[in-house]
Parts: sequence; C-alpha cells; structure tokens
Amino acid sequence: METIILYGPYLLFSGCVFGFFMAWGIGANDVANAMGTSVGARALTLSQAILVACIFEFAGAYLAGGEVTSTIRKGIIDPELLADSPDLLVFGMMASLLAAGTWLLIASFKGWPVSTTHSIVGAIVGFAAVGISFDAVSWSKVSSIVSSWVVSPLMAGTISFLIFRSVQNLILNTEHPFDNAKKYVPFYMFFVGFVISMVTFLKGLKHVGLSLNFQESFIYSILIGVGISLLGSLFLRRVENTHQVRGDVVFDGVEKVFAVLMVFTACAMAFAHGSNDVANAVGPLAAIANVVQSGGQIAAQSTMPWWILLLGGIGIVSGLAMLGYRVIETVGRNITELTPSRGFAAELAAATTVVLASGTGLPISTTHTLVGAVLGVGLARGLSAIDLSVVGRIIISWVITLPIGAGLSIVFFFTLKGIFS
Amino acid sequence: MASKGLSDIIKKSPFGPIKAHMEVSKNSTVELINFLESAVNSDWNKATESRKVISQLENEADVLKAETRSLLTKSLFLAVPREDILDLIKLADDIPNTVKDISGLMIGRQMEIPSAIASSFLLFAKEASAITDAAGEAVDHIDELFQFSFGGNAAIKMQELIEKLDSLENKNDQSEITLRAELFAIEKDLPPVNVIFLYDIINKIGELSDRAEQVGHRISLIASR
Repeated sequence: METIILYGPYLLFSGCVFGFFMAWGIGANDVANAMGTSVGARALTLSQAILVACIFEFAGAYLAGGEVTSTIRKGIIDPELLADSPDLLVFGMMASLLAAGTWLLIASFKGWPVSTTHSIVGAIVGFAAVGISFDAVSWSKVSSIVSSWVVSPLMAGTISFLIFRSVQNLILNTEHPFDNAKKYVPFYMFFVGFVISMVTFLKGLKHVGLSLNFQESFIYSILIGVGISLLGSLFLRRVENTHQVRGDVVFDGVEKVFAVLMVFTACAMAFAHGSNDVANAVGPLAAIANVVQSGGQIAAQSTMPWWILLLGGIGIVSGLAMLGYRVIETVGRNITELTPSRGFAAELAAATTVVLASGTGLPISTTHTLVGAVLGVGLARGLSAIDLSVVGRIIISWVITLPIGAGLSIVFFFTLKGIFS
Repeated sequence: MASKGLSDIIKKSPFGPIKAHMEVSKNSTVELINFLESAVNSDWNKATESRKVISQLENEADVLKAETRSLLTKSLFLAVPREDILDLIKLADDIPNTVKDISGLMIGRQMEIPSAIASSFLLFAKEASAITDAAGEAVDHIDELFQFSFGGNAAIKMQELIEKLDSLENKNDQSEITLRAELFAIEKDLPPVNVIFLYDIINKIGELSDRAEQVGHRISLIASR
C-alpha cells in the first residue's frame, strides 16, 4: 500500500512507457502479417497499406479492443485475491510487460515465429502462479485461452477453405468468370461489413457511450454491410476485363475485381488485428493504472480508463509508421503467389475468426490464425505449393514461448519486488 | 521477425522452372533444325557450331530439372500430385537429351543425308519441332488453368491445345511413313551401315515427337484432376 502511494506516479509512468513500446513493437512487427498479404497480392501499394493499417488498427484497438484487454487485465488472475497486496499486482504486470518485450526482442532478432499473445499470457501466468500463489491463476480461463489457440487457426482454415470453394464454384470454374466475379463479389463485401460491425456493436462501443442490444446491432450491421457492398459496387463499375501488369505480376480481369474486394478485407484484417493485439500491450498497463489511480485499492468493479486504449492505438500506429513499412514490404515480396482471389479468402477468414475472438475476450495470435487461413486456401487447391513444415515450427514456438515468457516474468517480478521492498 | 511464419508457408510454384525447361527444349529443337540443314548441305563446320549450342542447352535443361526437383520437398502440399510433376519433368527432359543424341550421332559419323530423301527428312524434323512448340504452349497454359482452379474456359482451352498437339502428331506419323518409304526405295544403293544409322536417326526423331506429345498429355492429365 505504501509503495503504491510513494512510488505510484513513477510506477504508472514506467508502465506507460513499457506498454507503449510493446504496442510500438506490435505495430512495427506484427501488423506486417496482417497487411503483407494485401501488398503481396498487389491489391494495395505499400503506402496505401500503411494508411489503411493506421486507420483501422487504431479503430480496432479503440472500438473493439476492450474485451481482450479486460481478459489480460483481470481475467487470467483475479485481482481481488490481491486486495491486501496491490503492489504485487503492479510489479507482476510490469514484469510481464518486460518479460514479453524481452522475449519478443530476442525472437525477432533470431527470426523465430513467436506470438506476442503467447508471450504475454505466459508471462502473466508465470508471475501469478510462482510469485503469488498457484491458485491466483484462473486456470479455467487459461485453459479456454489455450484451447482457443488451437481452435482459431483451425476455424480460420475451415472458413477460408469454404470461402475459396465458393469462389471456385460461383466464379472461377464458370464460363464467364469476370461477369460472375462482378455479380458475386459485392456479397462477400457485405459479409465483411456485417461480421465486423456485428461483433463491434455487440461487444465494444460501451466505453464510447453506445450500448445496443442484439436486435439493434443486427439491424445496424445489415445496414453497414449493405452500405459497404454498395460502395464496393461503385468501385467495381470502373474495373474492366483487361489484362494489367503490376510489378512482376500479370493481373487478369477477374483478379482485378478481387483486388477491389481485398481492399475491404485488408481493412477488416487491420481492424481485427488492432482489436485483439492491442490488449497484449495495454492490458497489463490497465491493471497497473487501476491500482495506482485508486491509491492502492483494487476495486472489484473497476472500469478501464479510456486513455489506455488510446495510448495502445497510438503506440501501434507509431511503430507501424516508423518501422512497419519495411517489414510489410518484406512479407509482401515473399508472398506474391497469393493472388487477390486467394488472399481475400485468407484475410476474410482470419479477420472473422480474430474479431469473434476479440468479441469473446480471447487473446489469440493473429499471425497463426492467418497461417491457418492460408493453409485452408491451399487445401482447397488455391495455392500451387504450401509448406506444411511451418505448422510444426509454430507448434514448437508455442511450447517454447510459454515457459520462457513465464520464466522471464518470474525473474523480473522478484527483481522488482526486491528493489521496492 | 514475427512475420516469418506467414512468408515461409507459401512456396514458389514448381511450374516456374518447368516452364523455363520447356523453353530450353523448344530452343534445342529449333537448333536441331539448323543442325540438320547444315548436315544436309554437308557443312560440318556450321553443324559443329549448332552441336555446341545443343550441348549447352542440354546442360541448362539439366540444371532446371534439378531445380524443379529441389522445389518439391517432402513437407509441401501441392495443388497437383508430386508424382505427376516429377513424371512431367522426367518426360520433358528427354527432349533436349534426344536432340543431343541425334546431333552427336550424326556429327560423329559425319552422316550424309541422301538428296532423294532430304526434303522429307527436314519436313519430318520440322514437324517434330512444331510438336515440341505445341507442348510448350500447353505447359505455359498451366498457370492460367491454375488461376481458374482447373475449370471453366481455361480447361476448355487446354483441351483445344491438346487436340492441336494430337493432330500435329498424326500428321507427323504420316510424314514418317513417307520418309521411310522413300528411304526404302533407295536403300539398296547405299552403304548398308549408313542405312542402318539413317533408320536409327529417323527412330530418334520419332521419339522426340512422341516425348513432346507425352508431355502434352501429362499436362492435360494434371489439368483434369
């Protein structure tokens, strides 16, 4: 209690710094996977991708990032158990940020496919189970999070498989693929708008003073879906059935139609990514801010300060603007085989899955979900060659990241505890 | 970089080097025609030049064959069966090899082509080269076929390409019969060993067209799955 009162502002300030850099790292690194798909498919140029990412990552973080942030903040460990020693919660969350940040730095240096989400969840579980007590961890919540890590790539894979199969049957395998593309693509656009807004209306927006019930959300989402598909149809009118060369890729007329669709799915992907991944950075910060601002009280019904999500959003966008473009370019250059008709299916499936997880408050890995979605397209014979050994490496990265995140946060936790007591 | 997972999963299409290989095969049959024209004119200096080009092309083809195989690692999931792709490249690689054999055999023996059969002989060889071109066209079409998921107009066009290939092959069979008849008519006036080798060369050119036709059929088989 005294520690909080004495050092509160300093602790909060350093929490903000760590949280901001974590968000910055997500923007510099993770966003690349979400946006690289569109750049690789030549649906967006690099600068367009940055612009889309800045707007929609921020919107996703601010509008729909609340649920996952709350899971990180008070879902994995029950703050009420720490009512007598709120300083431990502050040290723990600080240690988690440091641990995840350190591990991510090492991993990106070595080029390992490590997930931000897995690092932070491992870190929080680590300090809570070892530093506080085994029972401080809400194991049922943790197990539902861990199973969502298995379910989310599978779900994204299944959805992308079905979407691409529908594209094959409705458009590609027909006598007039171009005309059919123009006819059916607006329906996919509707789906993009509907899913994203439905989840956001249902689960987010309370903190911006808008609370809608299921029926209202449903109606508004349909309206937004229709609006998006009308807007898309407007763009589609200008697409002509001619070949076009972009970079080293020859674009058939059909692919140009899908490229328009992919602009929308890219927005959805950035929104989904922001809504899920911002929590990794600002969830621990929110917990720290709650304790410090209440002067050492751990309030049961604490609300999240609005500026937390804002800070996370700004962090992501600044990381993106400073370093992200380079990573996006690299990813985009490496996946040119993913044409818009394939890329959109992968993005739409991944965005849908991630947004659903965000609405449910489950922190999942956007990259792994996208990998699952790409595999789904591949299994539908949409890609000439996909490397299944990546799946093995992803599983290894899970197994490694959890104990290392936990171990590092335990070390940082006891170090901080030692310094302040 | 956290981005590794995604860009590692999507691999290059193995059809890239196969298409390049087919391009080399086409060039080598074109050079074979140059070679045979020089041989018919008994210009062995020029023929030796062509022979050098043919050997070089055969080497390039081997490199591309190896590249195709190295792309097909065990952990890949491919849109078309790995065995079909391996068969395809094996068949395709016979084309530059056979061209090299023909030129090697002819230059080694400085084989004279009797003027009575020269025009039929060249026609026969040119048709074999045209079949290779047609097979190459089918191989080039695989990208479009893949883009449209092996169906629709792309599949119809592939069918047309294969029909064209078959009709070229039929024509070529007729030319072979004519050529053999012409050679048969004059064979008793020629040194017997030379005749044996002439028949051997005709067989090998026939083999060339067969291989090219098989490449086309293998592609259409891949397409129909």
